[in-house]
Amino acid sequence: MGEAIVITSGKGGVGKTTTTANLGTALALQGKKVCLVDTDIGLRNLDVILGLENRIIYDLVDVVEGRCKIQQALVKDKRFEDGLFLLPAAQTTDKNAVNTEQMKALITELKRDYDYILIDCPAGIEQGYKNAVVGADRAIVVTTPEISAVRDADRIIGLLEQEDIEPPKLIINRIKRHLMNTGDALDVNDITTHLSIDLLGIVMDDESVISSSNRGEPVVMDPTNPAAIGYRNISRRILGESVALMSFDNSNKGFFNRIKSIFAKS
Amino acid sequence: MTQLTKQQQYVAIKGTKDGLVLRLDDKCAYSDLLAELRNKVAEDGLDGLAEVRVDTGNRYCNENDLREIMNIIHGSPNLRVSKIQSDVITMEECNTRIQEKQSETFIGIVRSGQVVKADGDLVVIGDVNPNGRVVAAGSIYVLGRLKGIAHAGAKGNRDAVIAASWLEATHLLIAEEMQLMTDEITILSEKPEMECAYIHPKGFIAIDRLQELRILRPQLSTFKGGI
Repeated sequence: MGEAIVITSGKGGVGKTTTTANLGTALALQGKKVCLVDTDIGLRNLDVILGLENRIIYDLVDVVEGRCKIQQALVKDKRFEDGLFLLPAAQTTDKNAVNTEQMKALITELKRDYDYILIDCPAGIEQGYKNAVVGADRAIVVTTPEISAVRDADRIIGLLEQEDIEPPKLIINRIKRHLMNTGDALDVNDITTHLSIDLLGIVMDDESVISSSNRGEPVVMDPTNPAAIGYRNISRRILGESVALMSFDNSNKGFFNRIKSIFAKS
Repeated sequence: MTQLTKQQQYVAIKGTKDGLVLRLDDKCAYSDLLAELRNKVAEDGLDGLAEVRVDTGNRYCNENDLREIMNIIHGSPNLRVSKIQSDVITMEECNTRIQEKQSETFIGIVRSGQVVKADGDLVVIGDVNPNGRVVAAGSIYVLGRLKGIAHAGAKGNRDAVIAASWLEATHLLIAEEMQLMTDEITILSEKPEMECAYIHPKGFIAIDRLQELRILRPQLSTFKGGI
């Protein structure tokens, strides 16, 4: 029996889909059997980021309406030997095409065959959000160090706390070192005290996240990339390991300055 | 009519040092009471205008009944009702009164879009985040950061206060008064720690140190006597 985790944020554009793709890939890299479910019906993206767009035959709405079996709709990621699958959203209809009972039944069925089911939630708090959350056992809230994203995260956490699931955990995405160090962006501490939920991890802002998404290859495949390290650490925490939080204070100062700061401390 | 006068009187007029009291019997039938009241009011040959207090004793009268009684008494040009008093209230009224006196406690974070309401005082142990709303008929006390909207005295109590460990609300409302906590309010630029908001005698919402509360609103303390 697997575990279903919904990835949500309230606000759009903070990186829910990118996070879903990368965490799913990272869990698959760890040898887990993962299924990603795109619930953003009408505005699907997850398939594009994973580079699976042209392999879609059936979609989520086809499954719930009984036009095909789940197995027929799942798209297999060839990079992993039976490790990563995607249930794509439908593009030709909207979020009201599916109801919460159907979603719950669907996720329950998937939980039988997979270790982790990651549900990519659409932005907003309407039907799409309800569909995404209903089958989940855990929730991850993604935010960025911007006041608007943090406000929406607060709203979504309030809604998640009313659901019958574990307390949600937080990912702070797109951290820009220089802005946080100069105090121009909210820092990690500010955000976690404001939202007062557990921090699951932080992800650095990195240009290669965009370029790799455009290539259809999640950034987490590159083990040296700073954003990829963030995602890999988060996936290990999901698996129950305790991994120290990435530090980002001195990492952009260069080798000489780093040596200097070591002496400065003593 | 003659029959009535023979019986025990249902309506008694008494003079006290505070003025006339119209004592209405609480055992007899309501219709008999009204009939006798009509008679009494018509009979009485008073001069000038006298203010009377009506005492309904242990009889429960709803608003319509009271209006009826008032109308009858005001049928006389010489009588004016100054006050109606009763020894009884309904269970419902009693429960609301108890609730209004009670203090309710909420432990947790009032997040964006959430509303926490109380019929009496409200104690929040935790933060009230921006766009979160706390509403109470009485006062609001936040053991945490108040960064959202607070409405004390929501049913019109102008003596209600809003106190918080960290008063950084976006909107403060007490009874019908509202204060937007804009940048112009200088208190925000300082440390908004341990403060309270109240309605100033001049009618606007003022903010002061929490320590001033015992001088500003001594009646909020429920402890009587010395310590």
